[in-house]
Amino acid sequence: MPSETLLFGILALMTLFSAGMMVSMHRPIDAALSFIVTLVSLAGLFALAGSGFLFAVQIIIYAGAILSLILFIIMFLNIKEENLPEEPHKWRWIAAAAALVAPFCFVLAKLVLSTEFGEPAAPVGGFGTIHAIGIDLFSEWVLPFELISVLLLVALVGAVTLAEKKEEA
Amino acid sequence: MIHHYLLLAILLFGIGIVGLISRRNIIVIYMSVELLLNGVNLALVAVSSHLQSSDGQIIAMLIIAIAAAEAALFMALFVVLFRSRRSLDANIFTLLGGRRD
Repeated sequence: MPSETLLFGILALMTLFSAGMMVSMHRPIDAALSFIVTLVSLAGLFALAGSGFLFAVQIIIYAGAILSLILFIIMFLNIKEENLPEEPHKWRWIAAAAALVAPFCFVLAKLVLSTEFGEPAAPVGGFGTIHAIGIDLFSEWVLPFELISVLLLVALVGAVTLAEKKEEA
Repeated sequence: MIHHYLLLAILLFGIGIVGLISRRNIIVIYMSVELLLNGVNLALVAVSSHLQSSDGQIIAMLIIAIAAAEAALFMALFVVLFRSRRSLDANIFTLLGGRRD
């Protein structure tokens, strides 16, 4: 379908461009705002791949909760220009890192392109809906789901313990 | 179509690693880690859609939950580090070893 390919191209370009902006911005607030664009375009790609529920999860949790937490912390810390690291050779570092990473990406891309994935499976009714995912999540994936809840509790306690103001001894 | 998704996931992962090793601002480093997780999520969703099975989407959802837990801890760390050093420079936090300056 040409319209699907066109949509994929637009979303992929938006994702890559905003991810590049995110990595190269000097002020953290600019980086966070670029990252929102990345996350929303990725949500669009999820929807294009037929995962309607994951689209909603990505928008609500990532773009909604995590990014607003980052923006809140950036504003709460009241970061001034003198608090930011000086990066006089930032572009040189980024170019060096890109030159280091590019061969690995190239090998991976060659590997993906030479792999035969076979024909896509026949479309299943209800794929990607909350019904299908919920049935699988609570039948085959119950243990990981419960472990995640413990992990979230540990993270909650850890965050409170870390951020607590210590009394000067 | 799955090739396109996997290539995009590889590129996102590469950009994330570039940000991780080339920047000194800890907030940008944290967002690069999130970019790595998102690249992996995209690959999982693409494979899940290719096979028409929900497993990949469920793993991606669990990864999003782990990213949320990670976000809470990172935010607490930012507050503590910024309170003690008034800076976001990753090179200043050398208490665990290396050069003291």
